[in-house]
Amino acid sequence: MKTITEHGRPAGARTRLTRVLAVVVLGLGLAAPALHAAVGCDLNDPDRDVKRLFPGSTGYKTLYVSISKKGGDDLLKRIEARLGDSFTGLFETADVPYTMYQVYKGPDLIGFIHGVNQKGTYGGLQVFLALDLKGVIKGFYFQKLTAKAAKAFRDPAFGSQFVGLSLEDFYKYDVASGREQPPGPISRIKNPDPASEKDFRATLRATKKNLVLVDEFLLGNPYLKFFRG
Amino acid sequence: MKKISIFEVAYKNLLRKKTRSLLTILGIAMAAWVLVSLFGFNRGYEASLNKDIDNLGFQMLVVAKGCPYEAATLMLKGGTGLKYMKEDIVAAVTAEPEVDGVTAMLMQVVFDPNKGETGGLAAFLGVDPVSFPKMKSALPFKAGGWFEEPEAAEAVFGYEAAELEQREVGDIYLIPEKEVEVKVVGILERTGTQDDGTIFLPIKTVQRIFGVKGELTSIGIKVKKDADIKAFEDKMYKLPDVQVVSLSQVKTTIMTLVSTARVMVFSIALIAILIAMMGVINTVLMSVMERRQEIGILKSMGAMAGDVFKLVWLETIILCISGGLVGTALSLLTARLTDVLVRNLLPYSPSGGLVAIDFKLVLMTLGVVTAIGLASGVYPSWKAARMRPLDTIRSEGES
Repeated sequence: MKTITEHGRPAGARTRLTRVLAVVVLGLGLAAPALHAAVGCDLNDPDRDVKRLFPGSTGYKTLYVSISKKGGDDLLKRIEARLGDSFTGLFETADVPYTMYQVYKGPDLIGFIHGVNQKGTYGGLQVFLALDLKGVIKGFYFQKLTAKAAKAFRDPAFGSQFVGLSLEDFYKYDVASGREQPPGPISRIKNPDPASEKDFRATLRATKKNLVLVDEFLLGNPYLKFFRG
Repeated sequence: MKKISIFEVAYKNLLRKKTRSLLTILGIAMAAWVLVSLFGFNRGYEASLNKDIDNLGFQMLVVAKGCPYEAATLMLKGGTGLKYMKEDIVAAVTAEPEVDGVTAMLMQVVFDPNKGETGGLAAFLGVDPVSFPKMKSALPFKAGGWFEEPEAAEAVFGYEAAELEQREVGDIYLIPEKEVEVKVVGILERTGTQDDGTIFLPIKTVQRIFGVKGELTSIGIKVKKDADIKAFEDKMYKLPDVQVVSLSQVKTTIMTLVSTARVMVFSIALIAILIAMMGVINTVLMSVMERRQEIGILKSMGAMAGDVFKLVWLETIILCISGGLVGTALSLLTARLTDVLVRNLLPYSPSGGLVAIDFKLVLMTLGVVTAIGLASGVYPSWKAARMRPLDTIRSEGES
């Protein structure tokens, strides 16, 4: 390969090496995986994000769990029943690894953070919840959202409507029909863009799924007693 | 009276100083571990690099003139400042007799404000719906297939890109920033290559959506098997405002870089082997000196010099083979860890496994370690064999 710089000067060995590696990056298209690195639902920057979602926290532990490893088909069926919907599609399976964060203040566990992927109308949604030790939502956060009304959905005012809710509230919400019987706190969550009803319902489904998974994997199922399958 | 074999005697002798024998075995195991891992890396890296280049479908890449490093950086910073070539260059390249196939590509990157806390990037690769699938015929589909129309508003997702966007065949995908909808027509299988994270669109569609009509960022060239690549490369350099990247050269350069590092590591391995060898000689020699009287009694009872030589030599070989077995087992168990470590150290790593350990390599290493054992054992065995019974018994009396 010729080693001529933009200014027409012969380049040194170091420049040649840099160039070859850069060409490899371009040629083999390595820019692409850098943009789409690890798939799953990890926090992009856990050190920063944990501090933001739990101000005053001093540390966190990361747990990796999957339905297939924790309980297999039986667990999947129970989770689907509690969610009120089946896992569907190429990417919503029992093998999906879930990353769960236990947040600490000094030696004390003060809460949890967990995110799930959800299929939206135009792309993927990553819904993260910050929860207290009882599984009550303290913070709601879209880490990623491909939607026409993305700005409205990412508005903090929308996320704040979820604060204070728990799985007990979400049990009354049927993700398949998008209705809450009898109408309660979930019905009071306002869709920020009526034209994006599908994405709104996808958000509620992701939140309920997130709460069920946290109950199963982190809390030890205290909300199971409220479930009326 | 039960007869015991010379092998049992040698084995029991080693057990008399368990810690010393164990440490010697560990020393040899370390040397064997380094040896297997290095040879495994040597094979694995080249095989993976070849696979990456083969998967690319073309051996030569023509990009717009300018520093590709700068282009890559700019691309990663937000897609501005990309170097472009005019589309008509494709015809000029195709006309060359050495060319078997040509495919034009256009990469574009957009800023997606709804990715993460501060936004992120989304990359799109515009490819020709006719020539690209032909060159990438090895790319397997999980669902669907390639787009067929040159200007279709359709997309093919690499596996990880589809997983991130939760897209399936038939779904709609919204290109961030441009707010353009495309239909997903294919999802690729996971390949372990850069294709996993790529979103492919027809090149004309990318040109239209991003307003870069008639522009390309690269051209992949498949050269005929019997063509003189070097002469063809020189011809390509004469094209105005382009830079030619021959992947065979890239491979050679990478392999040269890796070889330089490898020579250093092989030197370290050689030193490790020499240290292990000295350790073996020291251990066996000490053991021989401690058993002078014993050897003297053996000889006075009728043991020949050859028998003593065989006994001590066998002890050395047992130590070396045991160390070799432990070392190769260790290298097999830690192959994945070695892969991760090497991947973090190297400036560029191909996508496949970097450490390839097979039965042949294990056998070869055991052979080398046994040879080391045979060589290391000669001096202590010779020393033991030539001991005179009278001298050894006399030295007992003196001590």
